[in-house]
Amino acid sequence: MEHKGEEHLRLLQLQFVGKILAGFTHEIKNYIAIIKESAGLMEDMVKLDKGQKGKPEQYLEIIRSIEEQIQKTNDLFRYLNRFAHRMDHEFSAFNINESLEELFALIQRVANQKRITLKKDFQREIPSFHGNPSIFQLVIFSFLEEKMTNLDKNSIITVKIGAKGNSIGVSISSEGVLKGEQDVQAMIPPEMRMFALEKLKGTVSESNGIIDVTLPLSR
Amino acid sequence: MKKKDIKVLVVDDEVAFANTLTQRLEMRDLKVGTAYDGEQALTKLKEEEPDVMVLDLKMPGMHGMEVLREIRKAYPDIQVIILTGHGTDKDAEEAKRLGGFDFLRKPADIDHLEHKIRRAFQEKLERTMTAIAFAEAGEFDTARKIIKEEDEEQ
Repeated sequence: MEHKGEEHLRLLQLQFVGKILAGFTHEIKNYIAIIKESAGLMEDMVKLDKGQKGKPEQYLEIIRSIEEQIQKTNDLFRYLNRFAHRMDHEFSAFNINESLEELFALIQRVANQKRITLKKDFQREIPSFHGNPSIFQLVIFSFLEEKMTNLDKNSIITVKIGAKGNSIGVSISSEGVLKGEQDVQAMIPPEMRMFALEKLKGTVSESNGIIDVTLPLSR
Repeated sequence: MKKKDIKVLVVDDEVAFANTLTQRLEMRDLKVGTAYDGEQALTKLKEEEPDVMVLDLKMPGMHGMEVLREIRKAYPDIQVIILTGHGTDKDAEEAKRLGGFDFLRKPADIDHLEHKIRRAFQEKLERTMTAIAFAEAGEFDTARKIIKEEDEEQ
């Protein structure tokens, strides 16, 4: 049973990575397309102008747009790199805020597509948590994905992080209208979600649509 | 072809991309409008019908395929070129089945895109001219058939 659970969890992790990569590549393709069109526009302007009466402010505006896209590309690559390294160790001390900042950045496009706002309410200087960072991200992603799929557009999902006593709490709440047809199964079946949470020695409770994940600070 | 005879509507949720592409196509003597999502595109069609639409797929709200379906129902004369960063082969097949003129992936070469737009317009023109010629010759059934075939194909 334990072995089957591990196998299933590994499969779910692969699916999770696939989803993150699909969103990432789409976003990067868009940034590259903007850079390509911006560079092309400058080329068009130079050809049209033949260097006779250039308009520096127009060129500068395009250059700024290119720089902005390069910055966005760089930020996203940085997040993806950190995300990839979460799998280096099965057990490590990590900052929950950073790991969720990263997850938010990588799933932002999905939220935008669904016209859902992701809000963060993170307590500053949260103690490090000891556990499997990759599984932690998978668990939180599964809750977010389920909410994003079941909520109608213009909804808001808020993730709150706070230390309470000897534990860290991650609370996921939402404002908005539920879709008439609940067309999604949980990405992770409930028993597998519990299996994953057990690996983090965490617990979950749900009340009035608010999901509370509690993770113990002591090992 | 007279200057700015071909009307194009660029539909893409990436504002910077849509605006830059619009500028570049305008520099190539096309009359170009811009919409930033599917709903906005359909609203713009009520004001002015373009000859060719350059349409993204993954957009907030209405997906590009839904927009294509709506266009086929209400505006069968508009030629639609899909331009997407996320297109799979399955998407390409679906777009063709729904009557899309072509399916291009981002980043696309601007000269290639311009060529496709002009070809799409040419094809639209030829169909219309053929239908008119039959109508003028009194062969209304054939003329209607051409229009109908066009709708059915799409």
